[in-house]
Amino acid sequence: MSADEALIAEGKNKFTVYCSRCPSKILNSGMGVYTDMTYNLPYMHHKADGDSTNVEDVKGYWQVSDIYTFENLGFSNTVENMKYLICADCEIGPIGWHDLSTKQSYVALSRVKHS
Amino acid sequence: MAKKTYDLLFKLLLIGDSGVGKTCVLFRFSDDAFTTTFISTIGIDFKIKTVELRGKKIKLQIWDTAGQERFHTITTSYYRGAMGIMLVYDITTEKSFENIVKWLRNIDEHANEDVEKMILGNKCDMEDKRVVSKERGEAIAREHGVRFMETSAKANINIDKAFSELAEAILEKTSGVSVEPVDRVTVDRRTDRQTIKCC
Repeated sequence: MSADEALIAEGKNKFTVYCSRCPSKILNSGMGVYTDMTYNLPYMHHKADGDSTNVEDVKGYWQVSDIYTFENLGFSNTVENMKYLICADCEIGPIGWHDLSTKQSYVALSRVKHS
Repeated sequence: MAKKTYDLLFKLLLIGDSGVGKTCVLFRFSDDAFTTTFISTIGIDFKIKTVELRGKKIKLQIWDTAGQERFHTITTSYYRGAMGIMLVYDITTEKSFENIVKWLRNIDEHANEDVEKMILGNKCDMEDKRVVSKERGEAIAREHGVRFMETSAKANINIDKAFSELAEAILEKTSGVSVEPVDRVTVDRRTDRQTIKCC
């Protein structure tokens, strides 16, 4: 049992998804499908002395198949056929990524707030 | 395909000289702005925002022209599919105001003629450094028959109102005709930014 399971109802996000840092609403409840995939994402917090390209394994995402399903979301420029997702208001990120070939977006559960 | 979760989709562009605060017009909580080195290196392509007008849920897809501010780089392909354009100048920079006229001409030459325009005098809370009066902004807008507003992205003054007003103007034009968004999920503007036809 992972902490993520408390956030899932019938395979979807039980709660509304908000930015972890500002009041921006990202996704309404029930609009994302849980997927337990693992993906390499750069750190959200830039370490003063660190390399900004540092990445970590992030597991557990809300998968959304239409970008217009999101309430508020920012998309980075394209990097190797994908775009990073950021908060549309405070621009914190990456909170996930968007795959240009499949048009699927993935928001990391661990990088957003649920309430 | 999941059921449609909105009524209309409007594609908007933010245009203006570099440094006028277009980027800070794009978000409401600029004091919280937290662009990590990683994201700022890659740059932001567009944002999706949801507004509700007259009981309709409207998705705004907003592109910033950051990095492409020179007139000659902004041509027809850039404007393709845009239904609304926010023209932004900085009230503390005379030059950015003078260039609004050039931007208007550029839009006339390259954009769809019925694109809805709005001029924004942005100040980001620097009233003491103001060099362009509100009256001059209003005058140029009147002269070109364009909506006008002064905004402070930092204090969140009129930003939401500006986007809502622009969306409202587009809504009036589409006169309530519902747009089918299916298969119009277009992420890469350079290859295929589609115009939504409503009749």
